Amino acid sequence: MSMEGGSGYKDVPGPAEETGALVSMPSGLERAHATVPVLKERFEDAFLRHEVVAGDEHVVFVARDRLYEVLQWLKTDPDHAYNFLSDVTAVDYGGGRPIQMVYQLYSIPHRRVLRVKAEVPLSDLEVDSVVPLWSAANWLEREVYDMFGVRFRNHPDLRRILMPEVYAEGHPLRKDFPLRGRFSRAEQTRRALAQAPEDYYIPSDFGPGRDFQVVGWQEVGGEPVPVKEGSAQERKASPPPASGSPPDPTRS
Amino acid sequence: MSDTTSVRQTPSAAGSGLPGGIFGEGTPTFLTTKVDFVVNWARRNSLWPMPFGTACCAIEMMASAASNNDLARFGMERMSFSPRQADVLICAGRVPYKLAPVLRRIWDQMPQPKWAVSMGACASSGGVFDAYSMVQGIDTIIPVDVYVPGCPPRPEALIYGLIMIQEKIRGETLGQHARNRAEDPAAVGRPRADAAEVEALSHPFGNSTNQNRASGLVPGIPTVRPGDRIP
Repeated sequence: MSMEGGSGYKDVPGPAEETGALVSMPSGLERAHATVPVLKERFEDAFLRHEVVAGDEHVVFVARDRLYEVLQWLKTDPDHAYNFLSDVTAVDYGGGRPIQMVYQLYSIPHRRVLRVKAEVPLSDLEVDSVVPLWSAANWLEREVYDMFGVRFRNHPDLRRILMPEVYAEGHPLRKDFPLRGRFSRAEQTRRALAQAPEDYYIPSDFGPGRDFQVVGWQEVGGEPVPVKEGSAQERKASPPPASGSPPDPTRS
Repeated sequence: MSDTTSVRQTPSAAGSGLPGGIFGEGTPTFLTTKVDFVVNWARRNSLWPMPFGTACCAIEMMASAASNNDLARFGMERMSFSPRQADVLICAGRVPYKLAPVLRRIWDQMPQPKWAVSMGACASSGGVFDAYSMVQGIDTIIPVDVYVPGCPPRPEALIYGLIMIQEKIRGETLGQHARNRAEDPAAVGRPRADAAEVEALSHPFGNSTNQNRASGLVPGIPTVRPGDRIP
């Protein structure tokens, strides 16, 4: 297998010398992704770096305080339209390094995948919630809050989701969390039995009252997109067009 | 034939002048036995399990109720999905601390007499999940009669454990019922073990038989004790 003149990547030509990334990455590789060059040009200061991992997975690091802005543009821009949020998660690499927020995006109209990361320092674990953009982020952000302690601004219902709500030992997936917890086993057992299981499964968890309310719709790229609550576009937003929406299979 | 004799005789024995019982002509129409025997016989042959399945052990528990292994042959005729009508709690799978009050609540809801089977390594000792979230053996939460080892145990193993419950019932007497089966109202919703016992059961490599040997991870517990034999 000959490697001369190439980067090691089969389908992407270019020299691999001038790279400071985690993987050996040729320059100009961001052109292999249709969104990354546009994102880099539009958000010059928020765009920190770009990596390609596992061959063809494009990862974009953005500044933490511009994260919501970038994600909103990625979702609403008709040329990119990442309207499907696959996953929100976080990674703690330990050693006092910042926690990385990970947003896994997919564009159904353009059939395109992008991973957006933002580094959040341990001293100030707070980012903007993306629930106004994707309702799917609600429970995913609750899980990140539960496991890592990252607080989400403007989240409608930021509670623990996996651990008991009265759990007082911290956030278990952090690297500084001891494997067996902070309390003794006797204290953990006592606290576990002191709680009432009915408290978790109250009917209001499933009712409409506590859900995020979509207040309006807007036509973006040929499909209806919810408008963020309280935004300037709220007033001129129209209800979702009856003709444009897909027919309801349960109706007929 | 007079009316008074035909009342006491079976049709087959009618006319012979001798009383006839269930074993044929001339046999008595009554049996003598001990109340303990009859009660225990009835109890152990109609054990209704309460399935508390949380993990892969529950798959084996379902298999043991299915046609190949057929728990119903041994009197576990019906999986009772209500604790109010159950006799045996089968805890199959790992129990996290968030589920511990649920397990304790279901155990408290079961009427006496009741028994508990801890099925598999995780329910018995926490298994490989020696972590922040997992109960280190359900015997810290509820009293357990039979531990079934395995990861997961085969259906035969679970059936053998339930037969051990039947053998245990065979040895019970009604005279000790009040002592053995009385429930302390103050114990409802509380851990079965006190704090020291929970700690002892929860040590690394500690389990339901309360061995606390050889991890070196817990300060104060020597890795090798004088009585240990090292191969």
